[in-house]
Order: sequence, then structure tokens, then C-alpha cells
Amino acid sequence: MESFFVRYRNLLVLLALLLAQIIGLAMQVRRTPAGQMTFDAGDGSGVRLIRLWANAVVSPPERALQTSKTQTGGFWSNYFDLIHVRKENKDLQATIDRLRLEQASLLEDARQGQRLQAMNNFQQKYLYKTLAAQVIGTSGSDQSRVFYIDKGKSDGLVRDMAVITADGIVGKVREVFPGTSQVLGINDQSSGAGVILETTRIRGILRGNAFGQPQIVGLLADQRIKPGEKVFTAGGDQIFPRGLPVGEVQKVVPDPDRDGFIEVVIKPSAHIDSLDEVLVITAMETRFSPDQLKDLATSVDLKGAEAAAIEDQKKAAQMMEDRLPGLTDPNAPVPAPNPNAPPGSAPTPPANGPTPYGGTAVVPKILPAQHPDRFTPSSGNLATPPKSAQPDQTGPAAGKPASATPAAPKPGSAKPDSAKPPAPKPATPNSAGPKPPVKKPTDANGSAPATKAPSPATPPGPKPQTPQPQERP
Amino acid sequence: MAVKMANSRRDLEIHRYPVPVYLLVMLIALVLQALLPRVLGPRHIWYDFPLVITIYFALARRSPIGGMVIGGVMGIFQDALTGHAIGVFGIAKTISGYLAASVGVRIDVQNTIIRVVLNFSLTVLCSAIDLVIHRVLLGMEYGWNWRNTLFQAVGNSVLALFVFPLLDRFQTRD
Repeated sequence: MESFFVRYRNLLVLLALLLAQIIGLAMQVRRTPAGQMTFDAGDGSGVRLIRLWANAVVSPPERALQTSKTQTGGFWSNYFDLIHVRKENKDLQATIDRLRLEQASLLEDARQGQRLQAMNNFQQKYLYKTLAAQVIGTSGSDQSRVFYIDKGKSDGLVRDMAVITADGIVGKVREVFPGTSQVLGINDQSSGAGVILETTRIRGILRGNAFGQPQIVGLLADQRIKPGEKVFTAGGDQIFPRGLPVGEVQKVVPDPDRDGFIEVVIKPSAHIDSLDEVLVITAMETRFSPDQLKDLATSVDLKGAEAAAIEDQKKAAQMMEDRLPGLTDPNAPVPAPNPNAPPGSAPTPPANGPTPYGGTAVVPKILPAQHPDRFTPSSGNLATPPKSAQPDQTGPAAGKPASATPAAPKPGSAKPDSAKPPAPKPATPNSAGPKPPVKKPTDANGSAPATKAPSPATPPGPKPQTPQPQERP
Repeated sequence: MAVKMANSRRDLEIHRYPVPVYLLVMLIALVLQALLPRVLGPRHIWYDFPLVITIYFALARRSPIGGMVIGGVMGIFQDALTGHAIGVFGIAKTISGYLAASVGVRIDVQNTIIRVVLNFSLTVLCSAIDLVIHRVLLGMEYGWNWRNTLFQAVGNSVLALFVFPLLDRFQTRD
């Protein structure tokens, strides 16, 4: 047994190492809702620790190299210049070489200056607070679109911050280390960003394919999507602000895995493969420049003036409405004021009387039905006149011949005994069935209007002492 | 008796290095692998410094376990820098280290042609292992391109021609 382990020691170690790594891989795989097994981009604590170690090992040399790049370049340039000056001081070729070197250096400096100036201008004009960072390294693999920037937790960066350039979005912060950060490019397979097509307004999710091209996945086939259409961020992913340029449609290919679906390959606006400087959006609160604040103040003033104009228009409309003719009965009697009204209360516009605006209050005059029955709506309306037109039972009109108006029995309301109608009879000659006792419309004095048509809903029963006109129109 | 003789011969030909050399060379390989794409472009990664270093140390040490450990550590660190699953490069380079050391026990690894062929074939093998792990174990797409693999294998072979003699200078003489 011992000889077995000694003999196959190497193979056993290999198997143990492979098994351990495969188990580690399996712990990073999750099952998709569709039932497929795929890599879970969310790292566990152990995986994060390994990444932290790797970053701690690799980033300092990268950072040091990047920091000393300019100084080293200058040193080498001066060194070679000195050699040329000593050896070929009088040689024209040496001069030309030196000038070429200087020209190349200046050209590079000028390009870098232009890039930085453009980025600075963009940063000043951009609404959100951003932090400029320099790209210091990559993942080193052609299957991973991850790069590193020289800003980290100490600079206020946190995970899932958007990384952009003046041309468009680049990626998001995936891991944050003390002095550096790992940025996941939008063309990585494990990335994701909500985007919207400019013309068709189709929304989708942007992620990279295996060849490092960003593409919108999971779209239903749509003939309207054409190459050249611009793509912007949709803002729904809570990472990238809405409206940032993403790129333009390069081609539309059918989804190989799902029938009826397409993949829209995007040509990114930002030069993702050759990034030097990027901006990290550190805060989503809008940040306005003085000019923008001035414009906002002007806009608010204009809005106030507009509100005042709208208010004036409303007043004018109200006045016009009051002056226009309507359903008004100018001959209607003016109701007596309510003496029991509390002092100081707003005067109620009298029925059929003048209004404070110069018009006349409206009391709809409803014609009686030709053949009233209990199903006629107007009978109900006639039986219950508008409240404003009813005399107050407790007012002076209550002592008038109210006994002649059989009022509906109102529980709790004081009424003369003579005004109480008897119990309704089941049938009357004028009505086919029993009707509930209803209040008869009265005029302002409490008496029934003599010229008006009789109420079709007059309760059956004993006739009142004062005969009521029972005319029919 | 024959086994003992072979072991003695192998022990005699084992190349040893100071521990800092191991650490420094591995670190430089990782940093160069991460830095050079910025200079040469991300679409032309036709070199794999960690793999070349793994093969070199496995051949020089002639210890499969040592080759596996160096390959596994380099691969896992490389995985950690990619942002993808930890273990993809680790498995590939562990196998590469084992195979390189196993081959180094049997043949003369000082021969340049053997070094080139070994780098070429192990690079192709690593690419195949990556492909299998991505597609089978992880269920991810893998942008495999035979031309890229070929260029990478050639690039690693050329790289080995320069790196191996350079690293031979750091051997300690017993």
C-alpha cells in the first residue's frame, strides 16, 4: 500500500490538485432560470480574497511602472540625446534622429494633452460628479475584458460605479482595492448594461460576446433595427445614467440559441481597446455649473410668469362664464334671506336672483312629464326640488298655509299636525300603485306654485283642505 | 538498481534556483502579462509569460509536484486578474507543469528544438483545456480561433528561445 502511494505520488498529487480546482470552479457556477449551468459573476468571499491577493501582488509594480513611465522616458530620451550629441555632434543624421525623437515625443505629448483637455472639458460640463483615472493594466487574457485603474477605495470609489469617457460608456467598477480598482468592460461576457435604441426605442441588455464585441441580447426579431442606429444607456440598471452614448448598431445576427431572437452587435463609441484615461462617475447627484444654474433660475422665473398668466386666464374664463346666458329664470321670485343663517357666513346666492357677478342664479325649470308614473325620472326631480329653492320650514314661511302642502314625513323635523298626511292608501284613481309620500314643491313662501303643473308624485290619500290645482299641461 | 541509477542521474541534472528568483520571476511574468497588452494591444496577446515560466521551472526542476504547484499558483493568480472563474488557467497550467516535468525526466531539455516543440504543444494543450473548461464546466462561450492559438503557440515558442537561456543564468551550482 505504501509503495502504491510512493509509486503514484505525482499522479495522485495531480489528481488532488485538479479535483480541488474543479471543486472550486463548481462553487462558482450557478444554475440559470433556463436550467443551464453558467459562471456566476458575483464572487464569493473566498474568490474575492484570491482576487485581492493577486491584485496586491500585481498592481504595485504596474502602478510603479505607470508612474515612472514619463520620468523613465525622459531619462532614456536624454541619455540617447547625449550619446548622439557626443558621437555625432556634427553629423546631420544625428540631428535629424534627435529631431525625430523629439517630434515623436512632442506629438505624443500633444495627443495626451488633447485627450486630457477633451476629458477635462467633458468633466466640467457633465452633470454628474466624476473622477478621472488612468488605466494601469489589463487582465492579460484575450478572453477577459477587464482592466485596472489607478484609483481605488482611498479615492472614494465603490463597486458598480460607472466608468465612462467623453465618447461613451466603458464599463463599471467590479472590484475596489485600496489604491486601484478593477473595471469590467462592457464587452466582457459577464457584464451587463441597460441600453435603448435611439430611433426604435427598443430596450435591451448589453453584454459582450466571446470575441469581445458588445451586443444587445434577448431581443425579438425586429426589421426596424438597422445598422447605424445609435444606442444609448437606458438608465434602468442603476449604474449608468440615462442617455450616455454606447455606440451604434453594427450588424444584426440571429440568436443561435433561440429561434425568433436576434443579437444586435454594437460598435462602441468609446475606444475600449485603447483606453488611457477614463472617468468614474462617483455621484449621481446632478452638479450644475454657474451658467446652468443661471439658466435654471431663468426657467423658474419664466415658469412663474406662465403660472400667473394661466391664473389670469382662469379668472377671465370665470368672469366670462358668469356673464354668458345660461339656464336662468329671470322671473323667478327672489327667496327670502335666511334669518337663521349664522352671522358672517357667506351669503348664499338667492335662487333666481342676481349673483354678485351681475348674473342671475340658476334654478332649472323642469317640465313635468306628459304621463307621469313612478318610473319617470322627472317626477322624482319635481318631488324633490333643489335645496336652495326650498323655503326654510323653520322660517317665517313655516307659519303660512303649510297645512295645505302635504309634506313628506321627515323624522325629527317639526311640522304642524295638520300637515301630516295620513297613511298612504294602496291605490288611487290617478296612480296605479302605491307611491311614497313625497314633498310637494313649494315656492319661496312655502305655498305650492299656482301656475306650475301639479306634481305627478302627489301622494295618494285624503285631499288637503286647500284644493290644489291638478292641471295637466 | 536501474531505478536507483535513474534517480541519481536525475538528481544530478536537477537545476536549482534561489527562492527569490522563483518569486521574482513569477511576479515579473504576471506583471508583464498584464502590462504588455496595453503596449501591444489587447487583440495581439500572442504570448503567455506564466505558461512559459511554468514550463521552464518544471523542466529545470524535473519535479512534477513542483511543476504542478508553480503552474497552479501562476494560473490561479492569472485567473484572479481576469475577473472570470478562478481555476480555469489554474487547471490548465497545473496539467502543463505536470506534463513538462514528466517529459523533462525522460528527455534532454537543454535541446532547443525540444524546448520549442514542448512550448508549442503545451500552449495548444492549454488552449484546448481552456476551451473545455469554459464550454463544458462553466457553460460559457469561448471565442476560440485556431489562428490565435497557432500564433500564441508560435509566440510562446519564440519567447522560450529568449527566456530559457536568460533564466539558465540564475541556476545555482551545487
